[in-house]
Amino acid sequence: MKRLKSWPVWMLMGLIVVALLTVGTTRDNGPLTQSDRIDSITKHIACPTCDGESVYVSRASAAEAIRNQVAREVRAGTMTDDEIIGSIANTFKAQVLLVPRATGVDSLVWIMPIAVLVCAVAGLWAAFRRWRRDNSGEASSDDVALVEQLLAEDPSDEDNV
Amino acid sequence: MLGVEGLAGPLGRAALLVGLIAAFFGLIAAVMGTRNEDEKVLRLVPRFATLSCVSAIAAFAAMEWAMITRDFSLAYIQKVGSKSTPALYNFTAVWSALEGSILLWLLVLTCLTSGIVFKYRDRITDPMVGWALATMFFVGIFFFILTLGPANPFAAGAPGVLDGPGPNPLLQNHILVVFHPPILYLGYVGMTVPFAFAIGALITGRVGEGWLVETRRWALFSWGFLTLGIILGSWWSYEVLGWSGVWAWDPVENASFIPWLTGTAYIHSVLVQERRGMLRVWNLSLLVSTFSLTILGTFLTRSGVLNSVHAFSESNIGPYLLSFFAIIVVVSVGLIGWRGEKLHSPGTIDSPLSREGAFLANNVIFSVFAFVVLLGTVFPLIIEALQNRQLVVGEPFFDKLAVPVGLTLLFLMCIAPVLPWRKASGELLSTRLFWPAWGGIAALAFSVGVGATGLAPLLTFTLGGFAGGAALRQLVLATRRQGLRGLVGRANGGMVVHIGVILIAVALAASNSYTHSQELLLKQGVVATFDGHTFELTGFKTESDDRSTVVAALIRIDGGKSYAPAITKFKSMGTNIGTPSVKSSFVKDIYLTVEPPIKVSSNSVKIKVFIKPMVMWLWIGGGLMGIGTLLSAFPGRRRKPTDATSAPVPSEASA
Repeated sequence: MKRLKSWPVWMLMGLIVVALLTVGTTRDNGPLTQSDRIDSITKHIACPTCDGESVYVSRASAAEAIRNQVAREVRAGTMTDDEIIGSIANTFKAQVLLVPRATGVDSLVWIMPIAVLVCAVAGLWAAFRRWRRDNSGEASSDDVALVEQLLAEDPSDEDNV
Repeated sequence: MLGVEGLAGPLGRAALLVGLIAAFFGLIAAVMGTRNEDEKVLRLVPRFATLSCVSAIAAFAAMEWAMITRDFSLAYIQKVGSKSTPALYNFTAVWSALEGSILLWLLVLTCLTSGIVFKYRDRITDPMVGWALATMFFVGIFFFILTLGPANPFAAGAPGVLDGPGPNPLLQNHILVVFHPPILYLGYVGMTVPFAFAIGALITGRVGEGWLVETRRWALFSWGFLTLGIILGSWWSYEVLGWSGVWAWDPVENASFIPWLTGTAYIHSVLVQERRGMLRVWNLSLLVSTFSLTILGTFLTRSGVLNSVHAFSESNIGPYLLSFFAIIVVVSVGLIGWRGEKLHSPGTIDSPLSREGAFLANNVIFSVFAFVVLLGTVFPLIIEALQNRQLVVGEPFFDKLAVPVGLTLLFLMCIAPVLPWRKASGELLSTRLFWPAWGGIAALAFSVGVGATGLAPLLTFTLGGFAGGAALRQLVLATRRQGLRGLVGRANGGMVVHIGVILIAVALAASNSYTHSQELLLKQGVVATFDGHTFELTGFKTESDDRSTVVAALIRIDGGKSYAPAITKFKSMGTNIGTPSVKSSFVKDIYLTVEPPIKVSSNSVKIKVFIKPMVMWLWIGGGLMGIGTLLSAFPGRRRKPTDATSAPVPSEASA
């Protein structure tokens, strides 16, 4: 049983995972229905008259109008998903985009989580380093002095040291 | 009605005033009695707590009475009451807008305060209990002031109003309106109890592990209700809103999720403090964050600064909530700073590869997750303040960041349950993780075998199988030793919760990644096909009453039972609300919505069909989380902390 759990078996497991993931991620997923494409695009567009809902979620008439516009473009089949989103953004201004841009002040919403994560991980790493140092097991000069003092106070214990 | 019309307002206002006075004197008695060690004064505290609770119950009953009798002399009833609202939704209309919601919050809070007083009735002279109760009275006073001021449900309305529009149509369309808000509030408000004890511990300087033990079950109780409330909210969204999703990263949803994230971090890291005496400042900070985030979330969604489809109302309580939030943060941080020396942890963590190391990593990820959700929620406000322009941060942003965070948390759930405290060797990990890892591979192989694609969902299934294996391993070992008793206790109940979380993660990954949809124009007598299923329009059903007209299209799926997606037109508001109809199974849901308008005479209808895999496992996972929380609340059999891990667990008789 111990041999079964040795590192070559773990290597084999890793290879199986990589092989299966490769098969799963590279095979053809089949064509999306037009409805699937419309859903995917409208999830990226905010309904201009709603309270922060996407066009996909909202049942408001403004959302319905945009959904119909997206549906027309998808059926026409001349534009990519990004181009359709871009054309809607041009019509309604960028505030209908549900994903903030990665430029200017808007980029802060992308940068700050990464910065916080880096700081948190760095803090954790520093804490572990400090704890490891504290746990090094080496006697400090204070420790040595304390032991010497105790030994000096009670010489009868010398034999037992 | 019966000569008592118009009485609910004065009665309710009087009850709230009495409650405020009782809470104020309760605060004074708790503070003075504790400071002066005056048992006589402290013995008054239970009386004030009871009076305050009875007053809140009376105010709530008066509000219900006003709603039931349609007392349109009150502005709140004019806003959410209607003669045509059915009895059940009329009852729940009390918490369908801001003022009633705050009243419900107050009711739960005063009942909890009385519960704490009752539980600690023999220890009322304990300074930590005294200060904790003072804190709870202080929070209670704030909510009494809200209900008597900016969120007064008993304010007089305009004269001569004889009927109202009723609650928002979305709040009179599904039975879950009865359960979701109160359960969510039990979670929100319940966080006050551990927060109050944390403040008590800081003031008394008893910042060791005693206060944690006192509040462990309360924290778990609140977290469990918050979890259940969120799950029920998702279910409600799925069943009512008609877009086939369960979570839209809406500000109101985020307002409940952020404290859940910090609360989850807390119930993990608190174990490190109990076991190793470490992370004292961190745990206090997490508790303060969790409680204050419930207030901040309420401010963000109820003040009107952020729009949300779930907000249901706007008001001028924003400055009150923001001030209260600031007071909580300043006082808490001040107290933590004041007790800085005492909060210094005596222990250290020996190795990152240990149970406590995994909990710390878990805390970092949960905290970053909470920050991401908070940032995305308030970022439109920041942009508006900086550049005076509108910006929307929606689902794609949150999804993009939540996926890597979720995968990291799943990975930690694979490793952490098998890690011992202090230090783990590579050999030990290899032994303990071996079969769970095969579980992950089996899940991946099965997923690929049934045609799953995409890196993120496949990684979710793999890690889900791995983490599920790790949790099951722990449960199997525990039940082998102790029988069914092995399912009880913090560690083992926690593993049941883990399995629930894994099911939810897998179900979300599957349903978000592999949903297919299609619009179909159905004509009576003609069978349409989509994704291997047949859909046939068999007729229409129309129901009408004073409140609404419901037109449902009857659609037979796969030649079997008929389902009835409908459009409800609310007469007083002229609003059309779609109601989906769902055929559920363990493998997939077939979710039907109907596109308005329905023209019965045309014998045809336009529907949208969503094929959504594994949705039912979301609700099963949610149920398991609830059961696991319950199992965690009972003490399991444990070794003494000082015993070796190889020492036997005490038997029933000796436990």
